[in-house]
Amino acid sequence: MALDRKIAYINLTTGDIEVKPIPMEVRKKFLGGRGLDAYLLYNHTEKGCDPLGPDNALIISGGILCATLASATARTHVMAKSPLTGLLGSCNMGGFFAPEMAWAGFHHLVIKGKAEKPCYIYINNGEIEIRDAANIWGKTVTDTQWAIHDELNDKEVKSLVIGPAGENLVAYANVMTGVKNAGGRTGMGAVMGSKNLKAVSCRGTMDVKITHPMEALEYNKKFIEQITGAKVNQTQGTLGTPFIWGATNSWGGVRTENFRYNQLEYADDIEPERIDEIATETMGPYHMAGCFGCQVHCRAQYKIPSGKYKGKYDEGPEYTSQGAFGAEVGCRSAETVLAGNHLVDQFGMDNLETGSMIAWAMECFEEGLITKEQTDGIDLSFGNDEAVLEMIERICYRKGWLGDVLAKGGIPASKNVGKDSFDYLIQVKGMANLHSDERGTPALALNIATSSRGSDHLRSRPAIDLYHLPEKVLRKIYSTPVPYDGPLSSEHTEYVGKPWQVFWQENCYMAVDSLGICKYHTTFLGATLPNFENWPKVLYLNTGIEMTPEEIWEVARRNNMIERLFNLREGATRNDPEKGDVLNHRYHDEPCKRGAIDVIGKYIVKDKFDAMVDEFYEHKGLDKNGIPKKSTLKELGLENEPSHLV
Amino acid sequence: MAREENQLTGAESLQKTRTFGKVRCHNPSCMERIVPEQGADHAKCATCGMEFRIFWINPKLPRIRGPVWDVNRKIAQDRFKEVTEAKLKAAEKKGGK
Repeated sequence: MALDRKIAYINLTTGDIEVKPIPMEVRKKFLGGRGLDAYLLYNHTEKGCDPLGPDNALIISGGILCATLASATARTHVMAKSPLTGLLGSCNMGGFFAPEMAWAGFHHLVIKGKAEKPCYIYINNGEIEIRDAANIWGKTVTDTQWAIHDELNDKEVKSLVIGPAGENLVAYANVMTGVKNAGGRTGMGAVMGSKNLKAVSCRGTMDVKITHPMEALEYNKKFIEQITGAKVNQTQGTLGTPFIWGATNSWGGVRTENFRYNQLEYADDIEPERIDEIATETMGPYHMAGCFGCQVHCRAQYKIPSGKYKGKYDEGPEYTSQGAFGAEVGCRSAETVLAGNHLVDQFGMDNLETGSMIAWAMECFEEGLITKEQTDGIDLSFGNDEAVLEMIERICYRKGWLGDVLAKGGIPASKNVGKDSFDYLIQVKGMANLHSDERGTPALALNIATSSRGSDHLRSRPAIDLYHLPEKVLRKIYSTPVPYDGPLSSEHTEYVGKPWQVFWQENCYMAVDSLGICKYHTTFLGATLPNFENWPKVLYLNTGIEMTPEEIWEVARRNNMIERLFNLREGATRNDPEKGDVLNHRYHDEPCKRGAIDVIGKYIVKDKFDAMVDEFYEHKGLDKNGIPKKSTLKELGLENEPSHLV
Repeated sequence: MAREENQLTGAESLQKTRTFGKVRCHNPSCMERIVPEQGADHAKCATCGMEFRIFWINPKLPRIRGPVWDVNRKIAQDRFKEVTEAKLKAAEKKGGK
């Protein structure tokens, strides 16, 4: 059955490997995926451990539903202490890796230590081997995977790899699988690199036994109808995730030229429709691909149409690349967005962090905080397409003073640049904001400020807040599975009711991340997509575990609290500008200048923002300083952590 | 199980209320529904005056591609001027700069 998948503890220093079952008590308490990873991280690392040292635990997992008959359960999650933030590190990606790992017998790997020389881990139907990676060290993301195929003489092997950025310990290096499935944010690729671990490769043919297979298939049909029937998924299946950027830029919610503006005007060439035209021209009409078990197919395949990288194949770009190599750096060229996307995919580097670091350096350059001498003569003005592509490469290989400084991540870089450069750094907890500008949307501002891995739209963003849904619709969503009769507002420039929405979404996203389901299959971008009420049946039919929607909600709350406990243990405090639940002062001081009429002049009112944080803490069961109350920990069964159940 | 067979979940029941052939104005406090003519590539919000370029995902599903830049840019610039002047006046009243 799905639940007989195990945890492997692998020590790269000693070569010791230990395999253990996952007790049912642990499953019911944390489910799997990101939630159980958080528990494992809290239990298998010590306070203050060096993120790039052998004592950091690198945890790789699939959700509890991974490789079952449930839809879109391809997600792979990776967690460790982050070298970018010094707090919780976490990334989540689609593709085909986690199901292969489940078929090979495992749902979780806990990797500690450091190999003496480059290595990779090969898992084949329950057997784990640490192999020499001397011949693949230095290779790009895709070349690494093809080299492993050749070495093992098996093209069905799925690998989770790092590129040169991970080897060079770029603080925001990714873990990657396939061409563009990126475990981005928080530098999990650097943690792999620090362990001399180039890849984890899996091949599995061990059946995952489904508890009620026919009923599970039948119920999944209903699920598929619900998912493919959603307008948002029909749009994604046509334009991919770039449609999100297009819509956001249209009303003025895209941060532009670092944070000077909130809209990139005349951006027609990087709009999703234009990118779709390029994909059609270069790959034909059927260029949309999907992950394991997904019907949405949001991943475009394309070739770069012109310029230095003409003809190079890649996938995506995700909406984040339009932000990173478009608006943030003031560029309006599809070629730059597609080439930038290709470079970070091949180097294994986070597109959001890379684009943000370059955008920050550009503003510092234009403000005279970075000199032309420090850029080795590169004109780092906004809109310089060539400079953007050059800087991506320089960061990956830590070339020149600035390339090396930017590779360290925002806060260390601002200390190197000095003066008031920190003021220009658009970050939370040391992680750069994504491409969106939340000055007109208080709920989204609260989301990024309080996310467990730093500024992050995938932890608690109530994106449906932007749809102006009637209050009765909002209430239908946000008062299930636990009752809520407090205020809710359809107006997304308002502050009322938003803390509850953020709290609800935080639990919703933790639930899907622990189940192993893609966020595009839940209440993220579409109000009509499955959530707590739908999951118990999927869970039961596939795994036999009986849980109510309320119980899944409680698991999600517990898992989120473990992440908070980790951050508190590592020094996070509410008002710390580097590690706290706070926004850059520009959110409060600089009003929006562009976009739709009613976005103009908007900014986040500090007092109201602080009141939202207070209320959000109350919903979570935290005190005014963001520390969990004893009663909350008891209620969630976390009063004795670390409890070392596994 | 928590829910009886044939009883709809919240998400399923909301699915039945969806509308097709319309888009919402991108102006946050307007958000009026705009019904573009079938196949049209432009539409104007009758309520707030913003103009948008339209793309059709399928014949029933239009989406806003983006603003008509020149039109909406002018609206935005006028509005920003208004907001800035109002802020200055308010500051003057309080005796500040």
